[in-house]
Order: sequence, then structure tokens, then C-alpha cells
Amino acid sequence: MGRSSGIISPRTGRLCFVHRGIAVSRHFKAWNLIVALIFVILFFTVLYPILYIFKASFVHPETGALSLKSYAAFLHYPFYQRCLRNSLFVSTLGTLFALAIGIPFAFLLARYHIPGKNLLKTLGTLPLILPTFIGAEAWLILLGRNGLFAKLFKPFDIEIPSIYGWKGIVLVFALQFFPFVFLMVSSAINAIDRSLEEAAANLGSGRLRVFFTVTLPVVMPSILSGGLVVFYLCIENFGVPVLIGEDFRVLSVQAYNEFISEMGGNPSMAGALSMILLAITLSLTLLQKFWVERKNYAMTSLNPLEVKRLGPLGTLLSWLFCAGLVFIALFPFAVVMVSSITKTQGPVMYFGQFSLDNFIRAVTIAPRPIINSFFLATTATSIGIVFGVVVSYLLVRRRGAVSYLLDILVMLPLAIAGTVQGIALAATYNKGFIVLTGTWMILVLAYFVRKAPYSIKTTSSLLQQIDASIEEASINLGVPPVRSFIKVVIPVMLPGIIAGGIIMWVTTLAELSSTIVLYYGPWATMTVEIFQRIGSGDFGPASAYATILIISVLIPLFILNRISGKDIASSL
Amino acid sequence: MRVELTGITKRFGNVKAVDDVTLTIGEGDFFTLLGPSGCGKTTLLRMIAGFYTPDAGEIRFDGRRVNDVPPHRRETGMVFQNYALFPHLSVFDNIAYGLRARKVPRREAKSRIGAIIESVQLDGLEDRPPSKLSGGQQQRVALARALVISPQILLMDEPLSNLDAKLRVSMREEIRRLQRRLGITTIYVTHDQEEAMAVSDRIAILNRGRLEQLGEPAEIYYRPQSRFAAEFMGASNIIEMDVVGFDPDASLIAAETGGYRLHIRGERPADGRIALTVRPEWIRVVDEPAADKMNVFSGTVLSSTFLGSMVRYRVSGPGGATLAIEFHDPEAKGIRGNGEILWYHIPPDRPVVLRA
Repeated sequence: MGRSSGIISPRTGRLCFVHRGIAVSRHFKAWNLIVALIFVILFFTVLYPILYIFKASFVHPETGALSLKSYAAFLHYPFYQRCLRNSLFVSTLGTLFALAIGIPFAFLLARYHIPGKNLLKTLGTLPLILPTFIGAEAWLILLGRNGLFAKLFKPFDIEIPSIYGWKGIVLVFALQFFPFVFLMVSSAINAIDRSLEEAAANLGSGRLRVFFTVTLPVVMPSILSGGLVVFYLCIENFGVPVLIGEDFRVLSVQAYNEFISEMGGNPSMAGALSMILLAITLSLTLLQKFWVERKNYAMTSLNPLEVKRLGPLGTLLSWLFCAGLVFIALFPFAVVMVSSITKTQGPVMYFGQFSLDNFIRAVTIAPRPIINSFFLATTATSIGIVFGVVVSYLLVRRRGAVSYLLDILVMLPLAIAGTVQGIALAATYNKGFIVLTGTWMILVLAYFVRKAPYSIKTTSSLLQQIDASIEEASINLGVPPVRSFIKVVIPVMLPGIIAGGIIMWVTTLAELSSTIVLYYGPWATMTVEIFQRIGSGDFGPASAYATILIISVLIPLFILNRISGKDIASSL
Repeated sequence: MRVELTGITKRFGNVKAVDDVTLTIGEGDFFTLLGPSGCGKTTLLRMIAGFYTPDAGEIRFDGRRVNDVPPHRRETGMVFQNYALFPHLSVFDNIAYGLRARKVPRREAKSRIGAIIESVQLDGLEDRPPSKLSGGQQQRVALARALVISPQILLMDEPLSNLDAKLRVSMREEIRRLQRRLGITTIYVTHDQEEAMAVSDRIAILNRGRLEQLGEPAEIYYRPQSRFAAEFMGASNIIEMDVVGFDPDASLIAAETGGYRLHIRGERPADGRIALTVRPEWIRVVDEPAADKMNVFSGTVLSSTFLGSMVRYRVSGPGGATLAIEFHDPEAKGIRGNGEILWYHIPPDRPVVLRA
């Protein structure tokens, strides 16, 4: 280092006079520009459509003037109120049943030796990544009017229980959503330190008393949390009630029906129903965020609870419960896969006779839905990944006055039902200065908005674990800020980026509720195709597409699990 | 390289993290910024590294103003508190990182890395990822990575705080040895006064963003100027007294509290009330009362703790205060028990008058 008045550049060895003020302000401005751009994107994709549909709900469907007609209709016609009641009813029951099976499942697997425990744990989380409407399809194949059981028991004149209506909906909800309860409760149990229960015992509590005065209260916030998540998933669900609800109408389905019949006119009634559904889902999210999350006990478990051995009978009963539950939850998907290779003729299925016709037809005659799904999911995921990396970096590393707002806006779509988001986007970009409705771009837009939060969640949680000083260390060693970000931060974030991308991709692939509102003819996806085929009783082809979908979802998740050992379900 | 700080001030919101600090760090000095958490020492270090820009004041390296030089052009090597090793790079690649950024030819880089790896004793660990290293090894990698670029200034932010006590002592000796050998100007941040004394040429004590005292370790230890500096350097005996007289010929202050009269060598005090400190090891235990001698007092032993090489008494002292007295090699004279009377002598040139 010479005694010159400049600084010798460490890279070029040349003397240079850098005015930090300029460098800093240019850097600063670049980030400000990015923040502004992200807010513009979020405004037009998240906030504006919701505001638009909010306004539309206050517009008279015929005259176009401001009016409360749609809300008045809601209050006037018992039919609409019944939709709301039905929604709350199936969601409450679905949640209670999911809790009733998820909590014991979690406790048994966490605290006792049960044969095949690890396999049961893995299989037990599968239902939540498999599309609910495919579960509904399977139950239709089994218990529907022309289903397998109906045919089997017909000669004996035995009435089989009906799958249609609220009972079927609750059944599918409970079986597909209990893994959320299982995951949350078991992670809470695993966070309990052995000493906690030992302290209670040492202070004179018996085993039952320890459970009810210490263990259960400590796990309770997670139970509540799991319950809220399941309730949210039930009430926003579209595929299950639309397929097996029949006359039992729920809010999400009715909003969709209104929107389809109002298309072209003012989406006023659909808007009003969407707003009611939005009010519910938003309240659930706020409740979760500000009440339940606060009650969570942060613990670091040094010594996890002892895994106990039950007597032979206890072990057998526990195993029967856990294995039986996993079997019943996954059986529908096996049914769909078997159906896909079963000979079919229209709605008639010849079980026992196998044929690859359904696949051959799907791949050769009508491959468009498959191509569409892959294309749309890949496009939306690519955009989502870039967006996710930038937003995560802003949220974690450049916390400023607007971070809180950014956080809310980015995560808001997680509190909006797919149907509502679809309706909002379709109505907003139907006319005016940007017309997207009726193009494939609106599907990409919807997927991007709805699924990018997953990418942001995984990426930012990883970034949070990385100390900011590694970036500074790189700068200190002579690498300028932007290059430091690329050379140090991106590689370290990569596992999170990949995981987030895969989760985004598979959930996009399985998306039905907003797709059904937004797709048009040539851009039907696999999910739409499955949905329509089920509607027309074409179970064979529906099952072929469903099998392709299931495999396309499971393979990336399996690979991700192998390379990162990451529990995918925990990122959802 | 010489580092000069002039009137450095840094605010975070309403808080002045660093408040008008002026000091000079000489070429090859091992300079320590010492203070409790929140005193501004890390902020000051980060301003020298370029991660913060001072709101006022100037930073000069060898007389050259560097306020506007971005951090990646400052040619400082920094060791972070948590090491900040790149988790996706091996030990070798971590150390090579700065050389690659400087486009150092491959062969030269290899030999420089080899040399530094040897001098921090990391041989054989080149291909390990940081996660497979012990805390001490990670510390060495961080040090090697900062040193291999031959920085003009070495910056260390509490580098030993994540190590256990034993390793801390051996690492600090190693750091000091390496620094002496390379003759590199080093700025070291710590909150541990013993560590600061062990490694530093000079120490700056910071308190609430302000420079409290600057000096060599012994000077700071024996002659703390302020009450804060005295307390921070572990002085336990701080007594407040009223000035009752001053003898300018002998430079002797007479001060009183609670019936005790103490004579202290010093300048004429500005105030009628003074605070002074006297280290436990400066107080001499005497056998019997010698009323004619200055500064001999008696007190009741409140507790005595045997520490092997010495015994530490807590004795009731002037003005209701408790005095700590350390008595070395106690075997010959025996150890007094609680409640016994202990006579002690405070040599007049030992107490230090403190700035309030």
C-alpha cells in the first residue's frame, strides 16, 4: 500500500478515488426502485383485485349504480344464509374430526414404540399434499351411486351409506387435513424437554395429572393452531363440496356458481359472497397470527421426552389405530390409481379387468391438459422464485419502514380462498386497460400470487438462519455488495430456493379452485380436466389424469426429501 | 498503518452510539476498544471497516481520509464475532475467497494459503466444511481468512466470546503472537478487561459512546481516571470522602469520612468531596496498631475467602463502606476468621482520586 492519497483497488491494483456517497446512494436507489416495483406488482396482483371485487359487491347487478342489493339479497333469501351455515357446519365438523384423529395419532407416534413408526409418520403426512378433489373422486368411485360398493351390495339389497352431502364432505376433510394437526402437535411434543414432566412428577403429580396439568396445556397452542389451519382449509375448499355436496351448497361453491352466471354482467352477488368468505378467512388468519402464535411457548428441548414401550395389547391397539388411519386416508388414492388402469366404458368400470387405454388416450389424444399444467406451473414457479428471493432478501436483510406492509401484502393471498381470488382476478382484468381474463397469463398470475408465499416462506426462513455477517465478511474481503450477494448469499439460500420452488410447483400443479374460475377452453389444466370428467361420470380418464397428477406431485417431493431431508409438509 | 479518528459521531435514531471520539492508533499497535455492551465499541469498529458511515468526524488511514471509501475497498481484514464463515465453502475456499476477489494468481494464492494455514495450525482440515469444525478451529479459519489478504489493518470484533474459558486464554496468546510477528495494526473489540490487558499495547475504554480513558494496560489498571473506568477495570474499593485539608508542600490531601482520616498523595482537589479507589492488593495488613503512623485503620472481618495464593478479606471500612483486602501468602500469619479485628495500612501514594 503506497502513501498516495488515493486507495489502491484490491482487484485491479490501480489507484482509484471512489466517492462512497455516490456509490452508496446509487446502491440505495437501486433497492428503493426494487421495493417500489414490488409494491406495484403486489398492488395490481393482490390488493387491487380484492378492492375491485369489494366495490363490485356494492354495485347493483342491473343498473350499475351503488347499492346494497346483493347484501340485502343475502339477508333476504334463506338459501344464501344456508350456504354460510353449511360452510361453517362442515368446516366445524371437519376440524373436530381432524383434531379427534390427528391428536391421538401425534401423541401415540411421539411417545410410544409403535412398529413401523417412521413409515407411518411419512405416510401420515402424505394426504395433505394430495389434491382433495381427487380424494373426493375416489370416494365417489367407492361409495357413489354407481360406485363399487353399490354394485357389490346391490344383489344383497343392502343400503350403503350415502357419500353425498355433508357427511361425505366431512369425511374427506377429516381424512385429508388431519396431517396438519399431526404435524403441529407432534412438533410441539418434540419441543418439550423431559425435565418438564419430570419436574411435575417430582412435585408430586401422578402420570395422568402430569399429562393434564403440564403436557396438554403446553401442547394446547399447537392444537388450537392446527385446528384453525384445518378450519381455514375446510372453509376455503372448493373441490370437495362441489363434487360430492350436490344440493348441500357451501359459500365457495355458490360464489363460483353466481360468478359463472353473472359473467358478463356485474359480479355483484358473487362479489358479496366472496367478501363474506374473505371476512371469515381473514379473521381466521388474524386470529392465528395475533392470538394463537403469541401463546406458543418457545422451548428448546435438550432431552426429548422418553419414548415408552406399551404392553403387547396396548402396542397392538395403538398400531391398529395409526396404521388403520393411514390406510383409510391413503386408500382413496390407491383406488384412483387402480381405476386408472381399469377397463372403463363411459361411467361403467370393470374392476378386475385391466387396461392402459385411459393413459393411452390421455397421452396421445388429449395431452393438452398435461402440457398446460406443466407449462403454467413451471412459468409461475420461475417467476415466483425470482420474486421470492428478492422479497425474502428485502424482508430479512433490509428491514425498513415498509417491511411490515410488504410482509402483510405478500402473505395476504394465503388468507384468501382460491375461488375468491379467482373471481377477483377474473373480474378485475376482464375489461379496462389490462385485459387478461381469457388468456393463459391470468392463470400464471393467479398461481404466482397464490403460491409465491410458499417460496418466500422457505427462502426467508433459511435466510433468517444465515447470519448477515457472512455478507459483510465477503465485502470486507474485497467483493462489492452486489457480487457478494450473488457469490455468498444466493449459494447459501439455494436449498431454500429449491425447496420453495418445488413446493410452489407441486401446489400449483394441484390447484383447482382458482383455475376453475379463470381457465378458458384451450387452457384447461389437468385439474380442470379431472374435475370435468368426474362431473360427467367419466371416472376412467379422470383417474388417469389424476394418477399422472399424483405421480407428478410425489416425485419432486420425494427427490426433495432425499436431497435435503426436509419435511415438505412443514413448509405448507 | 496509522488510524486516526477525529470527532467521530454516529447516531441511531435518537441514540448517540458513538459520541465525538477522537483517538490515534499507531502503526503496528494492538489497540483495544473496551467497554460494556452498548458502549459503541462495535459501532466504532464497523465504521473503521466501512459498514457504517459516521454522521460527523473523519477517519484517516495513514493520513488519507477514508470516510467515502466503500468497505470492500478499505483493505481491512475483519474477524467477526460469530466468525461469519461461508457455510457453502470448504476451509481452503473460505481462506481463498479474498485472494480470488483480488485475482491473485493461482500459484501465489496457493502458497500464501498454505503458509497461513500452517501458521494458524489448520493443516489437514483444508477440505472440511465449516460445520465440521470445532469452535476454536472456526476461529482460526476466520483469522486466517482475514490475514491471508495481507490487510493493512486487522479488525477483530469480540473474536473470542464464543469460545470456552480455557481456549480463550490460549487463543488470545496465539493472536497476540501472530500480530507481533506480522506487525499488523490491530483494532480489537472486547468487553473483557482481563483479555484487553493481556493482549493490548493500548486500550480505549468507552462508555455510552464516549471515550472514557485511553492508555496502556498498566496505566489504565493502576491509574483509572474516572469512577466508570475504575469500576470497569475491576476496582472494588471506591470510597467517597470529604476534603478537610491540603498540604501543598507534601502534596498531601487529608480527607475524612465517618471518623476515618485518610491522607492521599495528589493535587489540590477542585471539589470538597472526592471519590477515590484503592486496589485490594495495595492495602497492607499490619500486625498491630501504630497510632502514630498515617493511614492505619482497624476493621471487623466480615468474610474471608481463601484462594490459595492469597486470602481475600471483606472488612468494614470507612464511612460504613466495605473494603476488599487481598493478603498474599497468608500461611505465615494465619487467616483471620469472621468477626475478628484486622489492622491495615493504606499507603498514601496508592489511592487514586477519581473524576466523578
